[in-house]
Amino acid sequence: MIFEQLSGNLLQGVVLGGVYGMATMGLSLIFGVLKVVNVGHGAFIMVGAYVALILFQTLGIAPPLAVPVALILGMALGMLFYYTSIKKLLKGPELASLLATFSIGVILEEVCKQLFTSEARGYHWDLDKLDLGFTVLPYSKLIAFGGSILVGLLLYLWFHKTRAGMAMRSVVEDDEGARVCGINVDWEYALSFSIGIGLTVVSGVLLTMFIPVGINPYMGGGYTLKAFVIAVLGGLASPYGAFFGGLVFGLIENGSYTLFAQIPGLEPFAMTRFFSFVMLLVILLIRPTGLLRGK
Amino acid sequence: MPLLKVKNVTKRFGGLVAVDNISFEIRHGETLAIVGPNGAGKTTMFNLINGVFPADEGQMIFEDVDVTNFPSYRRAHLGIGRTFQIPRPFASATVRENIAIGGMFGAAGSEVNVDEALEMADHYIDLMGLTPHRDKPAGGLTPIEKKMVEIARALAMKPRLLLMDEAMAGMNPTDIDKMVVFLKEIRDKEGIAIVAMVEHIMRAVAGLAERVLVMHQGAKLVDEPTQEALSDPKVIEVYLGKPAEELNNA
Amino acid sequence: MRQLQKFSPILPVILAYGVLLGIGLAYPGKWQLIAQLAFYCALGQAFNLFMGMTGYVDFGYVAFVGVGTYGMAVSIYYLYDKGLGLGLVLIGLVLAAVFSTGLSLAVGAVALRLRGAYFAIATIGVNEGFRYLVEGARIWNGADGMIFSRHLRKAVGRETAMALSTQWADIVVFGVAVLAAVLTLVYMRNKVGYALTALREDEDAAKVMGINVTKYKIIAFITSAVLAGLLGASAWALKLTYVYPEDVFQIHYTVEAIIIVLLGGAGTLLGPIVGALIYGFSKYFLAIVLPGFQLLIFAPVIIVIIVLFPEGTVGIFKKKIRGTALEKFII
Repeated sequence: MIFEQLSGNLLQGVVLGGVYGMATMGLSLIFGVLKVVNVGHGAFIMVGAYVALILFQTLGIAPPLAVPVALILGMALGMLFYYTSIKKLLKGPELASLLATFSIGVILEEVCKQLFTSEARGYHWDLDKLDLGFTVLPYSKLIAFGGSILVGLLLYLWFHKTRAGMAMRSVVEDDEGARVCGINVDWEYALSFSIGIGLTVVSGVLLTMFIPVGINPYMGGGYTLKAFVIAVLGGLASPYGAFFGGLVFGLIENGSYTLFAQIPGLEPFAMTRFFSFVMLLVILLIRPTGLLRGK
Repeated sequence: MPLLKVKNVTKRFGGLVAVDNISFEIRHGETLAIVGPNGAGKTTMFNLINGVFPADEGQMIFEDVDVTNFPSYRRAHLGIGRTFQIPRPFASATVRENIAIGGMFGAAGSEVNVDEALEMADHYIDLMGLTPHRDKPAGGLTPIEKKMVEIARALAMKPRLLLMDEAMAGMNPTDIDKMVVFLKEIRDKEGIAIVAMVEHIMRAVAGLAERVLVMHQGAKLVDEPTQEALSDPKVIEVYLGKPAEELNNA
Repeated sequence: MRQLQKFSPILPVILAYGVLLGIGLAYPGKWQLIAQLAFYCALGQAFNLFMGMTGYVDFGYVAFVGVGTYGMAVSIYYLYDKGLGLGLVLIGLVLAAVFSTGLSLAVGAVALRLRGAYFAIATIGVNEGFRYLVEGARIWNGADGMIFSRHLRKAVGRETAMALSTQWADIVVFGVAVLAAVLTLVYMRNKVGYALTALREDEDAAKVMGINVTKYKIIAFITSAVLAGLLGASAWALKLTYVYPEDVFQIHYTVEAIIIVLLGGAGTLLGPIVGALIYGFSKYFLAIVLPGFQLLIFAPVIIVIIVLFPEGTVGIFKKKIRGTALEKFII
């Protein structure tokens, strides 16, 4: 019985983890190219969640169709923030870009608070479910999972098969060298930042499959922490590592939830979140550059 | 007892062997020049002596203390000082404070309090002609002035071994000659051993160093008294220049 | 004489706090505002001691304020019937210091070995992590928090409890602010301050100059944490006589601390006071005119400051007065 419950939870963990991983790819991309840690990461996920919510509730648009809207919005925001603030801080102390991305996150949260109030909301995309006996997987979640894998593949193809993608990779390797080769490094930075933000906002849409209620302006904070755990698990500069880190994290998160639920006197939800934080510290202690080496 | 003994030290970066099984010694009060073409591994060697990163193999012994695994700050306490190729002053601190920091945390640091360190800084400021800049933030100085601050700061550490990384790059010949004279004075007065790394400034090498260590592709090519090294055919070949001739024409 | 001169910068600080306190005592109707300003001053000075002097951002800073709140709460809640009278408050302060030292050592042991960005990442979850530990393991009543007004009244009597929760809690906040300022100046005038400046400007060069950077980071970190703990013990626990994990671990206090320090001038002695006054007054007036908009207005201000005026108000002022007599007092 416990085994069934555990494997059910683990499978759910993998499905959610895939989407978590996709949510972290943007973070890793931005760090890999610009060496900037986007501390406001969670706020962009929140923006994506609201995009999905608003489109569904006002226009009846299903989440997969909200994805392109989210991507465009995300990329636009990315360009905006890059040119108004990030660009000027790249050469300065690390402190500066950390505070800037943090403040951007706060701005997004406050704007959304003014627009949508702090009330927690949600929507229900009613699709069928896949009954596997030991667990039930709604098709909406599977679609989100599939979407994440698709995005990961597209990113891979882009990096390795297109000129634009390869130009970006060269900047990661050696930005001086790339400059010498005639690559407009500043544009690559802007593009990477906006793609990274775009990916993050899209992930917010996909994550709404897992949030029946609870979309609110301040939901980002929890995801920022998770994203950092995943990012350091998979290698802070590696988008693919992030994906696999996400899978591992999803497994651990759900597994630990099940285990904590067995111990009387503990609140499993809160303990799981505490445990994520401990994981972060442990990984940073052992191997800050990532336990899993993606490409 | 030699001041510094480097034994079979190797450092790799991924697949690249930057420093390949190098051994040499530095004696008290001696001046050694480490030269070699670009990519020879000189800066890496410096960083290894200084403790900026650990060696993969080998040992380093400073005055009979095995410092192989010591972090840089502990090596500084024992008496190893360093200047950087591109000066790294603490920009928001004044020239005086910069130099005082060297005094406060260097080899004599534990016996020196803040006020004493500041006085010591004044002494070096006068010595190096930095008086007009005494209370200016170091970040606003010209590159040459920053270099002087860099050297003063390292000297304030009261090192017994001073690693000077390309101290004279970018200087014109007159300034180089003046710097050579100045360094000789300091060396003799304070009894410091200097390891200078100069790339192609043979003027400085010839004027200052008694011994030259030539590196090539991470390995030690020659380790000889200056005149011999500069006319050694192996060295000339590696440089594809003519160091001996240059000296004759100088 | 030389010694006295070294510490002359404390004079403007004492002056500022003296005036603030004086206004508060003369106009009791304004005491709430004054107390709030004092809180921001203390928060800013304490945070500045770490972020301003080392250049590292601790995003989880509020956890120390929160844990200090619990220190006082625990003392009152569990020891009220031991006949300790006002000693309860003293024990509360000590416990606050102990708890924050403990937490800062635990976090610091991992985080302080890490550089800039990694350090920030390590701290990003500290306040969340600790909050969820308290809630998850039901420590100190978990999410239900503690209400200890009754306990305080039983321990010291109704009148004293009243006085403690109003005037005296705020006086202690003033005390924490002054203490933070004094410690900042003491550090600045000693090797600690020079080491911190060096490691802030160029950590690798600092190491090469003989500075054990980890040791000095820890000193600044713990000092800053203990001050935060004392602040929480007074401004939150003593004043409100209740504590809930979801209140005391909120990241927006860290945001406010960042705003205050940056506005005033990170790494300066007077900066946090100036920043606290500007922020405190602005927030007060904004609350009347545009409630709920404070962070929305100030978050872009942070970005503007970082891009255009990184040295903050006092930093800019210092440049203007270089070479004048004021230089000795404004640092």
